[in-house]
Amino acid sequence: MDIQLKRGLLDVCVLTAIKNEESYGYKIIKDTAPYVQMSESTLYTILKRLETAKMLTVRSAEHDGRLRKYYKITESGLNRIGEFKDEWREVMSIYKFVTKEDASDEKA
Amino acid sequence: MKKLEFLDALRKKLFGLPSHEVEERVSFYSEMIDDRIEEGLSEEAAVADIGTVDGIMMQIVGEISVVSIVKDKIVPKRKLRAWEIVLLALGSPIWLALLISALAVVVSLYAVLWSVAISMWAVTVSLAVCALGGVAGLLLCLYLGNSATGFVILGAGVVCAGLFIFAIYASLSLTKGTVLLAKNIVLWIKGGFIKEGEK
Repeated sequence: MDIQLKRGLLDVCVLTAIKNEESYGYKIIKDTAPYVQMSESTLYTILKRLETAKMLTVRSAEHDGRLRKYYKITESGLNRIGEFKDEWREVMSIYKFVTKEDASDEKA
Repeated sequence: MKKLEFLDALRKKLFGLPSHEVEERVSFYSEMIDDRIEEGLSEEAAVADIGTVDGIMMQIVGEISVVSIVKDKIVPKRKLRAWEIVLLALGSPIWLALLISALAVVVSLYAVLWSVAISMWAVTVSLAVCALGGVAGLLLCLYLGNSATGFVILGAGVVCAGLFIFAIYASLSLTKGTVLLAKNIVLWIKGGFIKEGEK
Protein backbone atom coordinates (compact mmCIF):
# COMPACT_ATOMS: atom_id res chain seq x y z
CA MET A 1 0.00 0.00 0.00
CA ASP A 2 1.15 3.55 -0.70
CA ILE A 3 3.00 4.96 2.36
CA GLN A 4 1.12 8.28 2.43
CA LEU A 5 -2.22 6.50 2.12
CA LYS A 6 -1.33 4.05 4.90
CA ARG A 7 -0.16 6.90 7.14
CA GLY A 8 -3.48 8.70 6.65
CA LEU A 9 -5.46 5.53 7.36
CA LEU A 10 -3.50 4.81 10.54
CA ASP A 11 -4.04 8.37 11.78
CA VAL A 12 -7.80 8.02 11.34
CA CYS A 13 -7.79 4.56 12.99
CA VAL A 14 -6.06 5.98 16.08
CA LEU A 15 -8.44 8.97 16.17
CA THR A 16 -11.41 6.61 15.93
CA ALA A 17 -10.06 4.52 18.82
CA ILE A 18 -10.21 7.60 21.07
CA LYS A 19 -13.35 9.10 19.53
CA ASN A 20 -15.88 8.11 22.19
CA GLU A 21 -13.67 8.16 25.28
CA GLU A 22 -10.07 8.96 26.11
CA SER A 23 -7.75 5.99 25.87
CA TYR A 24 -4.15 4.89 26.51
CA GLY A 25 -1.43 3.39 24.27
CA TYR A 26 -1.91 -0.32 24.88
CA LYS A 27 -5.71 -0.07 24.65
CA ILE A 28 -5.42 1.79 21.33
CA ILE A 29 -3.23 -1.02 19.96
CA LYS A 30 -5.72 -3.67 21.15
CA ASP A 31 -8.78 -1.79 19.84
CA THR A 32 -7.30 -1.27 16.38
CA ALA A 33 -5.66 -4.75 16.14
CA PRO A 34 -8.62 -6.47 14.40
CA TYR A 35 -8.40 -3.91 11.58
CA VAL A 36 -4.77 -2.86 11.35
CA GLN A 37 -1.46 -4.10 12.74
CA MET A 38 0.80 -1.43 14.18
CA SER A 39 3.87 -1.65 16.34
CA GLU A 40 4.43 0.40 19.49
CA SER A 41 6.99 2.48 17.64
CA THR A 42 4.53 3.27 14.86
CA LEU A 43 1.82 4.18 17.39
CA TYR A 44 4.23 6.48 19.22
CA THR A 45 5.00 8.34 15.99
CA ILE A 46 1.30 8.64 15.09
CA LEU A 47 0.35 9.93 18.56
CA LYS A 48 3.15 12.51 18.40
CA ARG A 49 2.08 13.62 14.91
CA LEU A 50 -1.58 13.95 15.97
CA GLU A 51 -0.59 15.83 19.13
CA THR A 52 1.52 18.30 17.09
CA ALA A 53 -1.39 18.74 14.69
CA LYS A 54 -3.62 19.46 17.76
CA MET A 55 -5.94 16.58 16.85
CA LEU A 56 -5.57 15.09 20.32
CA THR A 57 -4.50 16.16 23.78
CA VAL A 58 -2.42 14.17 26.27
CA ARG A 59 -2.61 14.02 30.05
CA SER A 60 -0.72 11.89 32.53
CA ALA A 61 -2.73 10.33 35.34
CA GLU A 62 -1.84 7.93 38.13
CA HIS A 63 -2.97 4.39 37.57
CA ASP A 64 -2.15 1.55 39.95
CA GLY A 65 0.80 3.41 41.47
CA ARG A 66 2.33 4.46 38.15
CA LEU A 67 1.80 7.15 35.54
CA ARG A 68 -0.15 6.41 32.41
CA LYS A 69 -0.72 8.74 29.48
CA TYR A 70 -4.28 9.26 28.30
CA TYR A 71 -5.14 10.61 24.86
CA LYS A 72 -8.30 12.62 24.16
CA ILE A 73 -9.61 13.65 20.75
CA THR A 74 -10.08 17.37 19.99
CA GLU A 75 -12.56 19.16 17.75
CA SER A 76 -9.94 19.21 15.01
CA GLY A 77 -9.48 15.41 15.36
CA LEU A 78 -13.23 14.87 15.03
CA ASN A 79 -13.20 17.07 11.91
CA ARG A 80 -10.43 14.89 10.46
CA ILE A 81 -12.62 11.77 10.89
CA GLY A 82 -15.47 13.64 9.16
CA GLU A 83 -13.19 14.62 6.26
CA PHE A 84 -12.00 11.03 5.98
CA LYS A 85 -15.59 9.78 5.67
CA ASP A 86 -16.35 12.32 2.92
CA GLU A 87 -13.15 11.49 1.00
CA TRP A 88 -13.80 7.77 1.20
CA ARG A 89 -17.41 8.03 0.09
CA GLU A 90 -15.95 9.37 -3.15
CA VAL A 91 -13.23 6.66 -3.27
CA MET A 92 -15.84 3.93 -2.65
CA SER A 93 -18.00 5.15 -5.54
CA ILE A 94 -14.91 5.00 -7.80
CA TYR A 95 -14.14 1.51 -6.41
CA LYS A 96 -17.67 0.35 -7.24
CA PHE A 97 -17.28 1.72 -10.78
CA VAL A 98 -13.90 -0.07 -11.20
CA THR A 99 -15.14 -3.41 -9.85
CA LYS A 100 -18.30 -3.18 -11.99
CA GLU A 101 -16.02 -2.77 -15.03
CA ASP A 102 -14.08 -5.88 -13.87
CA ALA A 103 -17.31 -7.89 -13.55
CA SER A 104 -18.49 -6.89 -17.04
CA ASP A 105 -15.02 -7.78 -18.44
CA GLU A 106 -15.27 -11.25 -16.87
CA LYS A 107 -18.76 -11.78 -18.36
CA ALA A 108 -17.46 -10.84 -21.80
CA MET B 1 14.64 -10.31 29.76
CA LYS B 2 13.31 -8.22 32.65
CA LYS B 3 11.65 -4.85 32.09
CA LEU B 4 14.47 -2.77 33.59
CA GLU B 5 17.12 -4.65 31.60
CA PHE B 6 15.13 -4.03 28.42
CA LEU B 7 14.64 -0.33 29.11
CA ASP B 8 18.34 0.10 30.02
CA ALA B 9 19.40 -1.66 26.83
CA LEU B 10 17.02 0.56 24.82
CA ARG B 11 18.30 3.71 26.53
CA LYS B 12 21.92 2.71 25.71
CA LYS B 13 21.09 1.97 22.09
CA LEU B 14 19.34 5.32 21.67
CA PHE B 15 22.03 7.27 23.50
CA GLY B 16 22.98 9.36 20.46
CA LEU B 17 19.41 10.58 19.93
CA PRO B 18 18.06 13.81 21.48
CA SER B 19 17.81 13.11 25.24
CA HIS B 20 14.20 14.26 25.65
CA GLU B 21 13.25 11.98 22.75
CA VAL B 22 14.97 8.99 24.42
CA GLU B 23 13.29 9.50 27.81
CA GLU B 24 9.87 10.01 26.27
CA ARG B 25 10.17 6.83 24.23
CA VAL B 26 11.56 4.79 27.12
CA SER B 27 8.63 5.83 29.35
CA PHE B 28 6.22 4.98 26.50
CA TYR B 29 7.65 1.44 26.25
CA SER B 30 7.68 1.13 30.05
CA GLU B 31 3.95 1.93 30.12
CA MET B 32 3.31 -0.61 27.35
CA ILE B 33 5.12 -3.36 29.30
CA ASP B 34 3.29 -2.49 32.56
CA ASP B 35 -0.09 -2.63 30.79
CA ARG B 36 0.72 -6.11 29.44
CA ILE B 37 1.79 -7.30 32.90
CA GLU B 38 -1.44 -5.89 34.32
CA GLU B 39 -3.35 -7.95 31.78
CA GLY B 40 -1.78 -11.15 33.13
CA LEU B 41 1.42 -11.64 31.13
CA SER B 42 4.65 -12.42 32.98
CA GLU B 43 7.33 -9.71 32.95
CA GLU B 44 9.48 -11.68 30.46
CA ALA B 45 6.53 -12.42 28.17
CA ALA B 46 5.46 -8.76 28.25
CA VAL B 47 8.97 -7.64 27.26
CA ALA B 48 9.19 -10.30 24.53
CA ASP B 49 5.82 -9.11 23.17
CA ILE B 50 7.19 -5.59 22.65
CA GLY B 51 9.97 -6.79 20.28
CA THR B 52 13.76 -6.75 20.25
CA VAL B 53 15.81 -3.70 21.26
CA ASP B 54 17.66 -3.73 17.92
CA GLY B 55 14.41 -3.96 15.95
CA ILE B 56 12.91 -1.04 17.88
CA MET B 57 16.10 1.01 17.45
CA MET B 58 16.09 0.50 13.68
CA GLN B 59 12.45 1.59 13.47
CA ILE B 60 13.09 4.70 15.59
CA VAL B 61 16.21 5.69 13.63
CA GLY B 62 14.17 5.43 10.43
CA GLU B 63 11.47 7.71 11.85
CA ILE B 64 13.53 10.52 13.42
CA SER B 65 14.73 13.24 11.05
CA VAL B 66 18.47 13.60 10.48
CA VAL B 67 18.14 17.36 11.17
CA SER B 68 16.81 16.67 14.68
CA ILE B 69 19.72 14.29 15.45
CA VAL B 70 22.43 16.63 14.11
CA LYS B 71 20.87 19.68 15.82
CA ASP B 72 20.92 17.90 19.15
CA LYS B 73 24.63 17.14 18.68
CA ILE B 74 25.65 20.62 17.57
CA VAL B 75 23.48 23.02 19.62
CA PRO B 76 25.08 23.50 23.08
CA LYS B 77 23.04 22.21 26.05
CA ARG B 78 23.94 25.16 28.31
CA LYS B 79 24.12 28.91 27.89
CA LEU B 80 27.46 30.02 26.40
CA ARG B 81 29.79 32.05 28.61
CA ALA B 82 30.95 35.53 27.52
CA TRP B 83 34.50 34.40 26.66
CA GLU B 84 33.14 31.50 24.60
CA ILE B 85 31.00 33.89 22.57
CA VAL B 86 34.05 36.19 22.04
CA LEU B 87 36.14 33.19 20.94
CA LEU B 88 33.39 32.07 18.57
CA ALA B 89 33.20 35.57 17.06
CA LEU B 90 37.00 35.85 16.71
CA GLY B 91 37.29 32.37 15.22
CA SER B 92 34.38 32.87 12.83
CA PRO B 93 36.59 33.59 9.77
CA ILE B 94 38.03 30.09 10.22
CA TRP B 95 35.11 27.96 11.43
CA LEU B 96 32.53 29.70 9.26
CA ALA B 97 34.68 29.11 6.17
CA LEU B 98 35.19 25.47 7.17
CA LEU B 99 31.46 25.02 7.80
CA ILE B 100 30.57 26.53 4.42
CA SER B 101 33.13 24.28 2.68
CA ALA B 102 31.78 21.23 4.51
CA LEU B 103 28.23 22.09 3.43
CA ALA B 104 29.47 22.68 -0.13
CA VAL B 105 31.10 19.22 -0.11
CA VAL B 106 27.83 17.62 1.09
CA VAL B 107 25.81 19.46 -1.58
CA SER B 108 28.31 18.54 -4.33
CA LEU B 109 28.35 14.87 -3.25
CA TYR B 110 24.56 14.86 -3.44
CA ALA B 111 24.74 16.47 -6.91
CA VAL B 112 27.29 13.83 -8.03
CA LEU B 113 25.00 11.08 -6.74
CA TRP B 114 22.12 12.38 -8.84
CA SER B 115 24.25 13.35 -11.86
CA VAL B 116 24.46 9.70 -13.02
CA ALA B 117 20.67 9.37 -13.21
CA ILE B 118 20.30 12.86 -14.75
CA SER B 119 22.93 12.05 -17.43
CA MET B 120 21.11 8.82 -18.27
CA TRP B 121 17.85 10.75 -18.67
CA ALA B 122 19.68 13.25 -20.93
CA VAL B 123 20.88 10.32 -23.10
CA THR B 124 17.32 8.93 -23.19
CA VAL B 125 15.85 12.25 -24.30
CA SER B 126 18.61 12.65 -26.94
CA LEU B 127 17.83 9.20 -28.34
CA ALA B 128 14.13 10.09 -28.56
CA VAL B 129 15.00 13.35 -30.37
CA CYS B 130 17.30 11.43 -32.78
CA ALA B 131 14.52 8.91 -33.51
CA LEU B 132 12.13 11.74 -34.40
CA GLY B 133 14.98 13.41 -36.32
CA GLY B 134 15.32 10.25 -38.44
CA VAL B 135 11.71 10.55 -39.60
CA ALA B 136 12.10 14.29 -40.19
CA GLY B 137 15.38 13.67 -42.11
CA LEU B 138 13.69 11.11 -44.36
CA LEU B 139 10.84 13.51 -45.17
CA LEU B 140 13.27 16.33 -45.88
CA CYS B 141 15.49 14.15 -48.14
CA LEU B 142 12.43 12.82 -50.00
CA TYR B 143 11.35 16.41 -50.55
CA LEU B 144 14.84 17.27 -51.88
CA GLY B 145 14.79 14.16 -54.09
CA ASN B 146 17.63 12.33 -52.29
CA SER B 147 15.76 9.23 -51.13
CA ALA B 148 18.88 7.01 -50.55
CA THR B 149 20.29 9.43 -47.95
CA GLY B 150 16.80 9.77 -46.49
CA PHE B 151 16.52 6.04 -45.82
CA VAL B 152 20.03 5.98 -44.27
CA ILE B 153 18.91 8.76 -41.89
CA LEU B 154 15.67 6.87 -41.16
CA GLY B 155 17.76 3.74 -40.39
CA ALA B 156 19.82 5.71 -37.88
CA GLY B 157 16.56 7.04 -36.40
CA VAL B 158 15.19 3.49 -36.04
CA VAL B 159 18.41 2.41 -34.26
CA CYS B 160 18.02 5.39 -31.89
CA ALA B 161 14.37 4.44 -31.23
CA GLY B 162 15.49 0.91 -30.31
CA LEU B 163 18.19 2.23 -28.02
CA PHE B 164 15.65 4.64 -26.51
CA ILE B 165 13.53 1.71 -25.27
CA PHE B 166 16.57 0.22 -23.48
CA ALA B 167 17.65 3.64 -22.20
CA ILE B 168 14.27 4.45 -20.64
CA TYR B 169 14.40 1.23 -18.58
CA ALA B 170 18.00 2.00 -17.58
CA SER B 171 17.02 5.56 -16.56
CA LEU B 172 14.08 4.34 -14.46
CA SER B 173 16.26 1.73 -12.72
CA LEU B 174 19.02 4.27 -12.10
CA THR B 175 16.54 6.77 -10.63
CA LYS B 176 15.07 4.11 -8.31
CA GLY B 177 18.59 3.00 -7.35
CA THR B 178 19.64 6.58 -6.58
CA VAL B 179 16.58 7.18 -4.39
CA LEU B 180 17.36 3.95 -2.48
CA LEU B 181 21.03 4.88 -2.15
CA ALA B 182 20.16 8.39 -0.91
CA LYS B 183 17.82 6.87 1.72
CA ASN B 184 20.52 4.42 2.86
CA ILE B 185 23.09 7.22 3.09
CA VAL B 186 20.74 9.19 5.37
CA LEU B 187 20.21 6.06 7.53
CA TRP B 188 23.98 5.54 7.63
CA ILE B 189 24.56 9.15 8.74
CA LYS B 190 21.93 8.77 11.48
CA GLY B 191 23.48 5.44 12.57
CA GLY B 192 26.92 7.13 12.71
CA PHE B 193 25.64 9.77 15.13
CA ILE B 194 23.96 7.18 17.34
CA LYS B 195 27.02 4.88 17.46
CA GLU B 196 29.14 7.87 18.40
CA GLY B 197 26.88 8.32 21.43
CA GLU B 198 27.25 4.68 22.48
CA LYS B 199 31.00 4.99 23.15
